[in-house]
Amino acid sequence: MKKESSLDEGKAFCEKPVDFIKELRSTPIKEHGVIDLLGIAAFFLVITPLLSTHRITDFMIFCIFAMSFDLLYGYMGRLSFGHLLFLGTGAYCSGLFIKYISGNPLLAILVGIAVAGLLGMLLGLIVVRTTGACFALINLAFNHIGFFLVLSPLRKITRGEDGFGVSVSKLGFLNFNSGAIMFGFVLLCLLLVFYFLKRLTSSPYGIMIRSIKEDETRVRFLGYNTYLYKWLTFVLAGAIAGLAGGLTALNYHYVNPNVMDVNSNVGVVFACLIGGAGNLYGALIGGVTYMIISNFLPLYIHRWEMFLGLSLLIITFRFRKGVWGYIQSSIEYFIRRKSFFRSV
Amino acid sequence: MIEIKNLDVAYGYAKVLQDISLKIETGQMAFIIGRNGAGKTTLLKTIIGLLKPKKGSITYQGDEISNLSPEELYRKGLRYVAQEKKVFGNLTVRENIEIAAYASQEPIDRALDKVMSLYPKLKDFLKTKAGQLSGGQRQILLVGRALVGEPKLLLVDEPTQGLAAIVIEDIVNILSGLKERVSAVIVEQNLAMVNRLADRVHILKEGKVVGEIIDQSEISNTQGLEEYL
Repeated sequence: MKKESSLDEGKAFCEKPVDFIKELRSTPIKEHGVIDLLGIAAFFLVITPLLSTHRITDFMIFCIFAMSFDLLYGYMGRLSFGHLLFLGTGAYCSGLFIKYISGNPLLAILVGIAVAGLLGMLLGLIVVRTTGACFALINLAFNHIGFFLVLSPLRKITRGEDGFGVSVSKLGFLNFNSGAIMFGFVLLCLLLVFYFLKRLTSSPYGIMIRSIKEDETRVRFLGYNTYLYKWLTFVLAGAIAGLAGGLTALNYHYVNPNVMDVNSNVGVVFACLIGGAGNLYGALIGGVTYMIISNFLPLYIHRWEMFLGLSLLIITFRFRKGVWGYIQSSIEYFIRRKSFFRSV
Repeated sequence: MIEIKNLDVAYGYAKVLQDISLKIETGQMAFIIGRNGAGKTTLLKTIIGLLKPKKGSITYQGDEISNLSPEELYRKGLRYVAQEKKVFGNLTVRENIEIAAYASQEPIDRALDKVMSLYPKLKDFLKTKAGQLSGGQRQILLVGRALVGEPKLLLVDEPTQGLAAIVIEDIVNILSGLKERVSAVIVEQNLAMVNRLADRVHILKEGKVVGEIIDQSEISNTQGLEEYL
């Protein structure tokens, strides 16, 4: 009888992926790099004087988006060509909330996250049943639908390609129209997302989605309902992208269809590849690198996108693990070398 | 424990298994032998739910299981160790064991002890990525991982294929230690192993069961079995 109950508990665990929250709580905090958070904060604070506050805020928002994409692609192995749909949804919903309902920026961001998450829940029911090219293209198709919805059928609300302005009201002493306040708030969001994802990906849930990336059939042989895990990851990635969208609307005080332009999806794919997919540090490095390239290269090279193509070729042939993967391999190599010489 | 009746399996129009019937009792270690292409792996894949039969039934502890998914079969206590020695290469050895422990709600320490007791050398590799292990170590890890939780029936496909003699000995010893603790259906071409471990042998030829040996003296006669390989 005891064996039966143990099997039943196993069944419950496999069918309720939300149980990972219990596992998350039980993992010691120091294992999840509070020092890393300080390092990331210090990095963005140090580079701010070199560029403008607004620009660095934009960089950090893109990093949040890149981390959400990395959860889907780097950790779970599902490449999406339409992840910008969720960022756009977050941006539009936050913006429309401010325009038509309330100027409260925090509520607007929550609405952006919630609607993007809900959209992820709905689309995820269909999308996560597919893999490979099919997954990428179905996402692209939904992104196209979203883009044309805001452009044309919903133009009375969204004002079509002209877009609309977003002006937030003060929240006590917090004035989100101030660049410094916005910078601080986005930095806080970035650190929270990093911390959450860091804990999530090193929990049993993280092991699970990395295993799904390697071989989903074998994970099913271990008794897991992989569909639920994939769906949950899709929803989480969508909700975090929605947060990035809401922050984009607040940072630019303006929303137009460019926020979900399908062609811009290449940016986040590039960021993850250059930084190193399947690693949050990689997503951060890639995010910052891509933003530097896309912000500054056009000043010197007219068709700067060509440089992106060339870089992708170099990454594919020479640095498949990306910058962070290359750094990791080099460190491992030197440690091995050092221990070898010690033993000799 | 498990009974297969009049099972037909086909890949498209090509029939691979025809009218297969066999029965394995609790605690037995049954071996399936036969030449390449006889349908041994197909039979295991059908039992574990990867292939759907065209005809026939598979009952496990009295319940029909031919329409169950791999995860449902896992919960019933069936464990499949595939031929390709595919571990989760990018996870560490420890994580490979942990993922099985979470699935069956077995405490991680107990799961680790269980696997380490099979092959204590794995302790040195706990933090190593499983993809960096040798073929033999990977096979042992897979067998060990299948034992996490409360397995009742192991389905093992060619566990000694492509392994060095010394590693085969380790695997035979491990499987031998499992006898009577867990039932098993093992596909194997290595007759020395069959000789040492089998309680019964089913011979497959061109998708049909052409023989069933339960007499130990006949199982020990490897020369007699060789003609089916």
